[in-house]
Order: sequence, then C-alpha cells, then structure tokens
Amino acid sequence: MSLADALFGAFTLPFMARALVVMLVLSVIAGVVGVLVNLRSLEFITDGLTHAVFPGLAVGLAVGGASGVLPGAAVAALIGAVLLTWLMRSGIASDAGIAVVLTAAFSVGVIVVSKSDDYAGALEELLFGRVLTIPPSDVVPLVMVSAIALLLVALTAKQQVFRAFDAAGSRAAGNSAFALDLTLNVAVALVVVAGASTVGSLLVLALLVVPGAVARLLTGRLWLLFPLAGLFAALASWFGLAAGFAASVGAGIDLPAGSTIVAVFVLAYGVVLLGRLVRDAAVRRAASRDASPPTSSIPAAGERVA
Amino acid sequence: MSANAVLTFEDAAFTYPGGDGVSGLDFAIAPGEAVALIGPNGAGKSTLLRGVLGLVPLTRGRMALGRRSADGAGGRTSSGADGASHADRGMVGFLPQTMEFDVDFPISLEQVVMQGRYRRLGLLRWPGRADRAAVRHALETVGLAEFASKRFGSLSGGQRQRGLLARALAADPSLLLLDEPFNGLDQPNRDALVTTLRRLKGEGVAVLVSTHDLELAREVCDLVLLVNGRQTAFGPVSDALTLTNVQRCFEGVEVEIDEHTLVVPGHEGH
Repeated sequence: MSLADALFGAFTLPFMARALVVMLVLSVIAGVVGVLVNLRSLEFITDGLTHAVFPGLAVGLAVGGASGVLPGAAVAALIGAVLLTWLMRSGIASDAGIAVVLTAAFSVGVIVVSKSDDYAGALEELLFGRVLTIPPSDVVPLVMVSAIALLLVALTAKQQVFRAFDAAGSRAAGNSAFALDLTLNVAVALVVVAGASTVGSLLVLALLVVPGAVARLLTGRLWLLFPLAGLFAALASWFGLAAGFAASVGAGIDLPAGSTIVAVFVLAYGVVLLGRLVRDAAVRRAASRDASPPTSSIPAAGERVA
Repeated sequence: MSANAVLTFEDAAFTYPGGDGVSGLDFAIAPGEAVALIGPNGAGKSTLLRGVLGLVPLTRGRMALGRRSADGAGGRTSSGADGASHADRGMVGFLPQTMEFDVDFPISLEQVVMQGRYRRLGLLRWPGRADRAAVRHALETVGLAEFASKRFGSLSGGQRQRGLLARALAADPSLLLLDEPFNGLDQPNRDALVTTLRRLKGEGVAVLVSTHDLELAREVCDLVLLVNGRQTAFGPVSDALTLTNVQRCFEGVEVEIDEHTLVVPGHEGH
C-alpha cells in the first residue's frame, strides 16, 4: 500500500470517511478545550471526569443498548462536572479526593457492565471505543455534543484565560469563579462524552491533554495556542487513522484504531518535546558563547512568583 | 461632600463569614481626592478594599459607589437596584498587594493590561479599537509602552507592579484602590508611581491606597483613614495623622512618627 493510499485512498471507504469526520471534529475541539485544561493545570480533574463518565456509559448501554450510550454518558458527565466543580470550590478536592471519586465511579461502571450478556465485548467497546464502527446515526449527535463544548469555551475564553493567569484578579474584576469552573468542566465533560464513544473513555484523556501540551511547547503566544492545538490534533488524528488502516489492511497487523490514534498523538508529542529540548540547548549554547547571561525566556517549569 | 462623592460609607461594616472584618466605616471620597489607608497588620485594610470590590459582604450600614448604593441589612437601597452593581464596579480599578502567577504563563504585558477592559466588554464582546487604545494609553501612563509585547513573567518585579497598575487604569476607573503598592519597590519605580498617582488625581480619579509609607501619604494623599478593626480616625492629613491618633490606632504596638516615617516594629515598608 502506498503512502497516498493510506493518507487519502483509505478515506474513500464510507466507514473510514465517517471515522475521519468524527475524529477531526472531536480532536480539534478537544485540542482547543485542552489548551484551557493545560493553562489551568486541570489534567487530573480531567482524568477524574473521564472516569466519572464511565458508569454513565455502562448504565446507558445496559438500559438503552448502543443508542443509550451517549445520553447515559451525557448525564453522568454533567453530574461529574457539577460534583468536581463543587469539590474544587469547597477546597475538598485534594488529589486524594479526586482519586477516590474516579476509582469509585469506575468500579460502579464495571459492575454494571459485568451484568451485560457480552461482558468482554461491551467492556472493550466502552473502554477503547469503536471509531471504525460508529453508526451513521451517531455522527450528528457526536458533532453536536462537541460543538456545544466548543461554544462554551469560545464564549468564556478570555475570562477563562484571565482566571487561569490570575484567579484573584479575575474574582476582583467581578467574575464568578464557580460559574467559570463549571462552564469549563462541563465543556471538558462533553468532550469526554463524545470521545468515550470513539476512542473510548480511557484514551480520550490523550485528546484533551496532548494537543494543549504540544502547543505550549511550540509557542509562547497566548492566542496562537488554540489554533496550534487544533491543527496538531487534526493532523495527528488523520495520520493515526491512516496508520491504523495501513497496518491492518496493508501489512495485515490488526491495530485497534482508537489506540493507534492515541499512540500517534503521544509519539508526535515526543518528537515536538525532543525538538524543543534541542532548540533550548542551542539557545543556551549561543547565549553562553556570547558570554552574556542566558535569556530568561524559558524559566524552570512550575516556578511561581508571589 | 457626599453629593458628588465617588465612594461613601455610612456606619458600614464588612465581615467575613468567619467573623473577622472592619466596622464603623463612615467617610466619603470625592473625585480627585486621595485617601491614605493606614493601620497595623490584620487591621482590615485589605478587607475594606476587597469589600469595595464586592468580595467581602457588607454586613451593616450603607456603601454608595457612584450613584447606586448597597444596604448592609441585606436589602438593597436606592433606586431599588441590586446595590453596587457590576456596571458600577466597572469604574473601580484595583492593584493587589501581591499576585501569584506562573512566570511561565504564555501571556504578554499588553494582554494582561487588556484584562482591565474585560469588565466593560462583558462576556461576549472581544476587544476592539477603543480597548486597544486604552491599553496603549495605560501602558504609556506607567512608562511601559516599549515592553507591551514582552511576556509578563519575564518582567522585573517593579515592572510587573506597574503593569498591574496599567491593568487597573485600562478600566478607565473613577476610583482606584491600591493595596500596599510601595512594598518592595525601588526608588525609581516608587517615584514613577507617585508621579502617576498625582497625574490621575489631576484627571479627577479618586484614590484609596493602603500604605505604611507616611511620606507617600503626605506626598500624594489629601486625607487619611486610620483603621484597626474599625475606623479610628478620618480627616485631612495634617489634622488626622497625629502621633496621638496613630498610637491609638496601633494600640499596644510601639510606634514612632517623624516627618517621613512611621516606625512600627514588625512592619516592612518605610
């Protein structure tokens, strides 16, 4: 199979075209939402939400079959978002608290799934998605759920960035921390809902976390982060689907599509990280050659100033 | 005096849910006036400033900000509106004492200053030409125009402080609240701040500044407000800033006062 076949030809097949459309919409939106997750350092809360959604998926599947998955996940996501926002606000949300919530939710989900007839099959689908077997009737709901998440973030983006940068200043300027947190958490939860039924509830975290992290490595310019994260997510999803197709059809190695996509995300992150380290080293060498103190354009990660 | 006052208090108190707070507030600030807010640590200076911003509940008396007023009994007075509304607070600029932030945060100085415009813009509108002009003007006022596109975390402490003042000014405030703005400032930055405050007063901005710096109080302020859990004195600097008043305010703490300096053991500042 030629490269062109994998990158373009594959997507003339209806199920591949459908997978590409859903993955492009989902990953671009996850990338954009993920920039805020990155700026707020909400990665662990996001992980909590991915797990909180799992029992919803399971209950939805048990009650309504395949068509019950999305509504079930949506209900669980909204409950999870409100709960985690409240935990954050009340200061209870230590990492331990989040960890308890996420494992508790997950165990409930597994118990529910274990009651289904096809335990292994159902569990696999919920955990690792079914990007290549998305029913055509699911495409529109998935796109709509993602679009709502994008809308929530787009409407509050400047206030969200303000809060991420200076929480006290944002409150002093009259912004409700609770309302902003709830909006962002609901947006993240909706992306999780859409992602859970494509790449699965475990791997959707990569879609939310990796593009934002890549954008941070690529630029220090605030509003460039969002398009860069979206562009990276789109390219990585496309290449991931193509790679999975090439391996399965061309080489006869059966790769699960969702996991392949996530592997490409992480691989690309590694490449960008390596590039950044090489560039930083070059900058430092140049600076020491000039016998001037190194520029402080890249301070140590996590350094905080009062 | 209170007819055209920017900020008026009548027997008002701000109280945190835990019980701490500041009470007996009874003063007014007119446009172009500057008030030095002086008191020992933990006296409620920051509480008062945060109360004006709506971050600490008014539990007693009346506060009037601009035209509308809030009523501490829980009910809201005047025009039956929701007290000091968000729109009214839009005319308040605030310079915090410290700001915790990630120095690696990818945001430029001018983007930080633009945050001062957000309250005017509301949720849905994005900055336009007038907002960019206001940001440019605020940066020129504090003398940082050439640093506009620098990353905020790469600036020096004094430059950050001036940048945050520019953010407060970008809101085009009629009342400016400053919380210990001179702590940790070197002489050039301090002089620049004094010059800026004087110019703002000339433009009719009312200023309420908490400070230990009596020199500043004399240089910039017309009035002084002494607090220690409650208001202990208020009046023109020459009348109210007396050793007797200051000793009464800093009860139990040994203070000395001379032409320039308030010497309080355990206090930083001048």
